[in-house]
Amino acid sequence: MVNNHQDLIGSYFLGLWKQNSGTQTPPAEDDEEEEAPTELNTINTYGGFLNVFPDKLSVQYTSVNLHGHDVGVVQANRPAPVKRLLYYFEIYVKNAGAKGQIAIGFTAEGFKMRRQPGWEANSYGYHGDDGYLYRGQGKGETFGPTYTAGDTVGAGINYASQEFFFTKNGTIVGPVYKDVKGPLFPTIAVHSQNEEVRVNFGKEPFFFDLKAFEAQERAKQQMMIEKMSLPQNVSHGIVRSYLLHYGYEDTVKFFDMASKNSLPPISLAQENGCSEQYNMYALNRRKALRELIRSGQIDEAFGKLCDWYPQIIQDDTSATCFLLHCQKYIELVRAGMLEDAVAYGRAEFGRFCVLEEYNNLVKDCAALLAYEQPQKSRVGYLLQESQREIVADTVNAMILSTNPNVKDSQDCMHSYLEKLLRQLTACYLERRSLNGDQGEAFHLRSVLDRGNTG
Amino acid sequence: MTFLESKFFSGLGLRLGASSISRTSGGSDLDGLEGGVLMSLFWIVIRQLAEIEAMATSKKVITREEWDKKLNDVKIRKEDTNKLVMNFLVTEGYVDAAEKFRMESGTEPDIDIATITDRMAVKKAVQSGNVEDAIEKVNDLNPEILDTNPQLFFHLQQQRLIELIRNGKVEEALEFAQEKLAPRGEENQSFLVELERTVALLAFEDVSNCPVGELLNISQRLKTASEVNAAILTSQSHEKDPKFPSLLKMLMWAQNQLDEKVAYPRIDNLSTATLEDPAA
Repeated sequence: MVNNHQDLIGSYFLGLWKQNSGTQTPPAEDDEEEEAPTELNTINTYGGFLNVFPDKLSVQYTSVNLHGHDVGVVQANRPAPVKRLLYYFEIYVKNAGAKGQIAIGFTAEGFKMRRQPGWEANSYGYHGDDGYLYRGQGKGETFGPTYTAGDTVGAGINYASQEFFFTKNGTIVGPVYKDVKGPLFPTIAVHSQNEEVRVNFGKEPFFFDLKAFEAQERAKQQMMIEKMSLPQNVSHGIVRSYLLHYGYEDTVKFFDMASKNSLPPISLAQENGCSEQYNMYALNRRKALRELIRSGQIDEAFGKLCDWYPQIIQDDTSATCFLLHCQKYIELVRAGMLEDAVAYGRAEFGRFCVLEEYNNLVKDCAALLAYEQPQKSRVGYLLQESQREIVADTVNAMILSTNPNVKDSQDCMHSYLEKLLRQLTACYLERRSLNGDQGEAFHLRSVLDRGNTG
Repeated sequence: MTFLESKFFSGLGLRLGASSISRTSGGSDLDGLEGGVLMSLFWIVIRQLAEIEAMATSKKVITREEWDKKLNDVKIRKEDTNKLVMNFLVTEGYVDAAEKFRMESGTEPDIDIATITDRMAVKKAVQSGNVEDAIEKVNDLNPEILDTNPQLFFHLQQQRLIELIRNGKVEEALEFAQEKLAPRGEENQSFLVELERTVALLAFEDVSNCPVGELLNISQRLKTASEVNAAILTSQSHEKDPKFPSLLKMLMWAQNQLDEKVAYPRIDNLSTATLEDPAA
């Protein structure tokens, strides 16, 4: 039984090491890699009616408007990115020309480029001459103010509420429900002689306070969330079990003391008696080992493990041994004792090279020797605290797995807090995928960074 | 079977469970009329079952296996969960625990630990009813806090009045109410209402049973203490609430949202984070 746990735990933490090395990009972060429009698409416009300036950010109607099929329409070079709360862009009307028939909006791929956005299906357009909103039929509806030369008009998509919104000179116009799915291109159009419009895809600051609007929309959702009620002291309990899980013994002691003295006193629910016991298992020893590993005293850590839990380091090719030996080697490199490091590597790494899962990781360790300033190299991550942390957490999990009462190795690897955060992330992702993959996902990093706005 | 069907069956004098339907329709001592009725009922039941099946398939089901895979794809960094815990300790005011956590985990708090001690001293003073002391401490910390927070200041003064009344210092209480609180009441209607409620305590012999008796509860002190705590945090450009409880609420909310469209393994018990297998 213990071996089964150990294998699972071992491969989990090796996986963490691989992630830490930066060779794997976490899937959640490719939200930030979604590309946004940067300029106008000059390939699919109908060049006969308009002229796009060389910077690809300004457009001028060169023809004479004769009918409804000679509109000068330009789309952005990419569709609006969807994996976020909002998307927004603006235009500045330099010249309203003869009739001021400018439009801003969104169109689908394959839009008829000689028609105003909103005059064809799957397109939305806010027109400057009449202030109407057109959304796929020839006839528009009263929507907002007209706009002309000197005005800055914006168009945006709110993925949370599935709505379009527009702005004129910083004030919101709209919103209007978006019933078009699929990628949408920011679109602008000019239709009478000499009309000239400049577009801003975000390279310059927007006239409209997008950040404030975003915060406002987030706050709306937050308000609904805040209404949920939590069982009393549940956060307290989960934080406490996190501290126990990872062996932060001193922290727990003072946490408990303060809890007893707080008003009203926070008492521990005894219903979770059995999980309490599992959490407190070998608390002092786990704390001791964490301390040793975090301060780089790997030999001492080996010694203690030999005394207390020989079964964990019994198999000399186990993940635990691998992690500890590598860390010892890393500490020698850190201390500048390169000859000792080489000797150590020669003694220990040999048997690990045979096993596939260790191969790349061993190579990374060996690579440390190639640099005068290894901390600045691509393998510099090995010298950071995070690497020690992985080793400490592995040993912690292994010790927890020696508890005869443990049924599920998952309990040794993940604290409840972590499990809850995973569930939260997965639910948000699932919700987003049901929404046509549009909208924000949950990123713990962003939440942590976002705060402190008071 | 539905209520109507069971009524029908019992009306016919037939006791039927799911298994016995086939037996009786196999035919034993039934005459033509009963047989015909039975066949109609049979079709009603078939139709019902088909409807139930249709409803079940229109909601997407995610099995435990599939969900476990999605969970395993989520990467949570240890340093981030450490930061979350530190944020909790710091915002809730666990000074010593935060200090130890910093040593044991190497996580830096997002606020100066020294300021926590000061803040906790203020909170404790209010919780113990030493409001004058608390006000002095707040002003030592940052005189702008009370200047820019008239409601907080009023509530502190109100608490002071409550404590005077609690200690039976009637004359002092009246003087205090008239000199310090009445002018505030004139400026603001809601302050006036609060003032009247508080002064009303003096009118009753048995304060614990009077309509405004709750003002003497410890919960009133805790409320005021909480308000002060939040104001100090805000003045230090720190969020007044810890992040972690909000995340728990987000989890509950997200699960509720998802329930409408999908059957999937839920976490019902936050304290144990155990997954329940999906209903289907």
